[in-house]
Amino acid sequence: MEGAGAGFRKELVSKLLYLHFRDKKTKVSADALQLMAEMLRIFVVEAAIRGVRQAQAEDLPLVDVDQLEKVLPQLRASGGTGYTPGLKAGPGWTGDRVTQACPRASWLRPDGYSADPSSSYPLQTP
Amino acid sequence: MEDDEAEEQERFSYQQRLKAAVHYTVGCLCEEVTSDKEMQFSKQTIAAISEVTFRQCENFAKDLEMFARHAKRSTINTEDVKLLARRSNSLLKYITEKNEEIAQFNLEQKAKKKKKLENATKDLRDSAEAREVESEN
Repeated sequence: MEGAGAGFRKELVSKLLYLHFRDKKTKVSADALQLMAEMLRIFVVEAAIRGVRQAQAEDLPLVDVDQLEKVLPQLRASGGTGYTPGLKAGPGWTGDRVTQACPRASWLRPDGYSADPSSSYPLQTP
Repeated sequence: MEDDEAEEQERFSYQQRLKAAVHYTVGCLCEEVTSDKEMQFSKQTIAAISEVTFRQCENFAKDLEMFARHAKRSTINTEDVKLLARRSNSLLKYITEKNEEIAQFNLEQKAKKKKKLENATKDLRDSAEAREVESEN
């Protein structure tokens, strides 16, 4: 069932989570692990797809870090705990300007998914 | 003092190995996106996505631990994961559906195994009965 396409191995997801648990007694159920693998997969694919959209908007043949930098803040805003520093520490990078540059509603915002069907990549049944 | 340093070094190299594993998976996923959208990713981009994903795991892990603890549990379950996805309706919907798919799949797997066991037991019993009948005759 989960064989279609690449994804995060459960063993890796487990190690990634356990690395950050504070309590030694904390465990993860098998189902929750599978679901988290899916969450991470969506996270990566969504970042990639938004990078693609940005590169397309800028008429570029390749997704480079500059494009990714513009789309990451929204991605992190949902899962993160507030403002997170950019990848390239330097002048000129502001989260606000980036949000304005990417008006397309992201599925990570509380108002839900944009109406654009072509951006529904993670919701396609594998 | 030296022990602390050695421990620190070990933790660091363990993290590096995990990051490498994440990087590999991210590379595979980006490759899929590339063939689907016909757009390439620079190596730095893939590295950047990997880095962000790795860092995001820390937030996920800590949140999940807190959710479970709040429910007075030590084992994180799918409800906690769904809470993680609460910020977006469509993400929550997708994750909820995925959860049901997984549960259904596991249920079917269990049913298959049970059926197999039942059939095997039935075959054994049938052949045992047949032998009994033969011996009576």
